[in-house]
Amino acid sequence: MNNAGAEPLRPRITAVGTANPQPTYTQDEVLELFRCDDPKVRRFFESGHIHKRHLVLPEQGPDGIVPDENGTELLEKHTRISLEIGSEAIRKCLANSPYRADQLDYIAAASSTGFLCPGLTAYFIEGNGMRPNTHRTDIVGMGCNAGMNSLLTTASFAAANPGRPAMVVACEVCSAAYVFDMTVRTGVVNSLFGDGAAAALVIADEDLSATDGPQVMDFESCIVHAARDEMRFDFEEGKFSFFLGWEVPYLIGENVRTPVFDLLDRWGLKKRDISHWIVHSGGKKVIDAIKYNIGITEYDVRHTYSILRDYGNISSASFLFSLQELMKEGVTEEGDWGVVIAMGPGVSIETGLLRW
Amino acid sequence: MELQTLQLERSGGIATITLNRPEKGNAISMLMVRELERLCRQLDDEATDRIVVFRGSGETFCSGIDLLDFPPDEKPDVRGFSRWERACRTIERLPMVTIAAIDGECAGGGMQLALTCDARVATNRSFYHLHEVRDGFLPGMGTFRLAKFIGLGRARFFGMTGRRMQAAEAEILGVIDHLCAASDLDEAVKTTVAAFGDIHPDAIELVRRLFDESFEIAYENFLGCFLAAQNRAIQTDAFKSLIKRAHEQGKTRPRSL
Repeated sequence: MNNAGAEPLRPRITAVGTANPQPTYTQDEVLELFRCDDPKVRRFFESGHIHKRHLVLPEQGPDGIVPDENGTELLEKHTRISLEIGSEAIRKCLANSPYRADQLDYIAAASSTGFLCPGLTAYFIEGNGMRPNTHRTDIVGMGCNAGMNSLLTTASFAAANPGRPAMVVACEVCSAAYVFDMTVRTGVVNSLFGDGAAAALVIADEDLSATDGPQVMDFESCIVHAARDEMRFDFEEGKFSFFLGWEVPYLIGENVRTPVFDLLDRWGLKKRDISHWIVHSGGKKVIDAIKYNIGITEYDVRHTYSILRDYGNISSASFLFSLQELMKEGVTEEGDWGVVIAMGPGVSIETGLLRW
Repeated sequence: MELQTLQLERSGGIATITLNRPEKGNAISMLMVRELERLCRQLDDEATDRIVVFRGSGETFCSGIDLLDFPPDEKPDVRGFSRWERACRTIERLPMVTIAAIDGECAGGGMQLALTCDARVATNRSFYHLHEVRDGFLPGMGTFRLAKFIGLGRARFFGMTGRRMQAAEAEILGVIDHLCAASDLDEAVKTTVAAFGDIHPDAIELVRRLFDESFEIAYENFLGCFLAAQNRAIQTDAFKSLIKRAHEQGKTRPRSL
């Protein structure tokens, strides 16, 4: 069916699966477990945009306080929980698709909350019964936008190999990148992030239609060099401690119009042509910044907010949680356009164009 | 663009859209709704005007929706209302300052059109009513907008009884921003346009949205929204040039350009 000038076959996201570790904590419970009384730190937890998060915290000691975890324990936790929730997300995603694990030809795994070599894909392929010749890519250190970077490689594989199913999985154990020293710096970070994994199946197949899921049409990236050090890991006392500068939400707001409108312009689209916005649940401030700079509504970011409220910021997995909500909601129609916006360290804004 | 129910005039950055069905009291037909939406999108895309003025042809602004669009023997369909509301929202979000210039009757959907605008200029013989409830249906999302202008109690009585509000009362209640003699409407529109001064589209879009949302968001949430919006406003060239002039003139609030 290679008619000259015909629309190329675009890969579609046909299934999503998500998983979280069992325990959930309200913001008050976390403050209690860490015996945090500093009003400056408590303020971040009490802002009300997050109701609960899934976190893997150590057993309370006899004094009721959560003991400190050393760097080795945190890394071990990252690997162990990633494999649990990542595999569960993969299984759920496959269960929502017509494919078995041994039919997958490609897997990309994103994680920034721990580092391991060999990477997560080596474990996923073995543990989930994928073939030894499954192509694999591990995407590390890209933070909250890494899910989009992974989708780009996965969709590129799928587009180049019609009929061959590919999978992207984003696995974040933010409680393994935990340093709690009662400072405002760690308070900001520890009040925001949660643990979770999301997998998506991507395949280019001309027999699929809008009801199977959106086509991945295009991507547009933007890196803001001036803010490179505003979102970063520092290595302190054998642990990664995340730093999030106060300016980040504003810097993202100031720059987000460029990739979004460049992406729309390339397709001759106007903002009003976009029916669905899938925005990373980065935090209340950055969601506001995107709302008021792009000019999108509370309704447009309803899933972004609900995922933030129920899970916190699950880093690279967040936008797939929102996409899953949208796909479950059943409001998408054939021909609808959607825009994905994810942002993270770099400072990086990764956008994508979807079409149902 | 071929227009049957509307007229468009453009001059000096001002686009004037006239509801042009004088023989029908400028009633809003489905064709008019479609033309309104198309025209507003065109103005939005071209982005050459700073101001959009809505008027009625003859001595009426708009008598409401055209019930002749409902076929007598078919089950009434709500989709037309949905389309009309979408057109109103498009107008409400135009990146230009919008002004309704009202003479004579301004009823039902016409009143809603006026309320979607940033300003309402009206003659002292203009009058307002929502007749729908007395007729057995509803005055559209005018219900959503009117109470914000005149308060819940007044809006309820006004909407339920369909009573007429005369221009003078409408001005006192804040529905009308600028009242004028019947012969002075053109002049009054010019005065209102001048009142907006230099128009900064970003600031207009943001402040309109924030005022609108002030009715529905808690203070703590609103504060974040305001800061996000303000950060966008102060990154514009307009603000940077303002700061430059302040320093050049040594003035806390410099003269405008």
